[in-house]
Amino acid sequence: MELIPATEFTLQELADAYNETRIDYIIPMPMTVERLQSYIEVYDVDLGSSCAAADRGQILGIGMLGLRARRAWVTRLGVLPSGRRQGVGRAIMGFLLDAACRHGAPVTWLEVIQGNTPAHELFNSLGFVETRRLIVARRPPAFKEIAPGEEAERPRVRHVRTLDHEATMALLASRQDKPNWLNQTESLRNASDVSALVIETEDGGRGWVTYKTSLLRLTRIVADVTEGDPAAVAAALLQTLHEFYSTQDAIAENIPADDPKWPGFLQAGYFEAFRRIEMVKDMAAWEPYGTDAL
Amino acid sequence: MARKVLLIEDNTESFILVNRVLSARGYEVLHAPDGERGIQLAVEAGPDLILIDIGLPDIDGNTVVALLRQIGELEGVPLVAITAWPPDIAQDICDRYGFDGLITKPISVRDFPQQIASFLGGGPEPAG
Repeated sequence: MELIPATEFTLQELADAYNETRIDYIIPMPMTVERLQSYIEVYDVDLGSSCAAADRGQILGIGMLGLRARRAWVTRLGVLPSGRRQGVGRAIMGFLLDAACRHGAPVTWLEVIQGNTPAHELFNSLGFVETRRLIVARRPPAFKEIAPGEEAERPRVRHVRTLDHEATMALLASRQDKPNWLNQTESLRNASDVSALVIETEDGGRGWVTYKTSLLRLTRIVADVTEGDPAAVAAALLQTLHEFYSTQDAIAENIPADDPKWPGFLQAGYFEAFRRIEMVKDMAAWEPYGTDAL
Repeated sequence: MARKVLLIEDNTESFILVNRVLSARGYEVLHAPDGERGIQLAVEAGPDLILIDIGLPDIDGNTVVALLRQIGELEGVPLVAITAWPPDIAQDICDRYGFDGLITKPISVRDFPQQIASFLGGGPEPAG
């Protein structure tokens, strides 16, 4: 088996290999060349630091590495059914962590879908530790508003304004929390055309929510509450957003499960589709594999 | 006249299997490999039943259903998820998005025709 930088493959080959790795995956998510290209751009995936494991020209597995200033993120790790239980995933992780080490990242991040036990065990054995659970939430466009009589439970919105992409980026940079890789400012900047909606409520609450619109969907939904009850203001924010975009489906990724705003998402019609486990590894304890260890 | 079943599914092997099983029972099986073409074919062909894979390469099956529900011509057409997602997660998503039913993959060749017949009104399967 050899580990080959992903730059040696076409995007079509990488997408095909990725789909083969996910053929029996817990949450199937098919990849296309267009989707992979966008993924690479939005999440700063460095193909030279990413790799495929191959045996006699046959890809057995792939793994990718996102790199930002002093940060590294493992993503899209997968092994084809024919390559499992042969140390392929561990070898790919060695390549990626070596690259993260060369990049000077003090820690490396990743997420694993809750329930993907083999991957979770692999990451544990490599020294990754769990940091938090992240919710992937959906909101169908057909969600009905809460019944009359319950309206008093959410604050009335006094003022609404929208922000363009650049103003939205400034808001994102002012966040106090530590967003997951998908929701970091770089991701939303790279995604382009991300806007924000800012509200003030009659009881003094303030908050904002980012979003990216398409004909069918709202994505890049990141909410923050700067004044007032987090859940109540988040509910008011999201309900205002969905009144503006009432026909679109919505997806909000990687909301921390302990985020006090999450009840506001629920009130606005979101539900939990599945969870990811965020994990981090201290790279000070990493001893590079090099290729000799394979 | 044969009843039309539209399968929106990116996996060719899955389509071949569904086509083989349902064609043998007298159904006409239409196929679209992604959500956009599935929506287009649904409007053009007027199927009696639409089977939708949740994990599609362009827009996922949930979004497809949300859109199909807004098309008046398709009112009353059963929209059924066909998916390899874990049944508990898939069922919750199906309920929330207004699917009329759920068939988990891999399909049972023996049970599949009866499942389809039940979504089409519970009548007997068409003669093969």
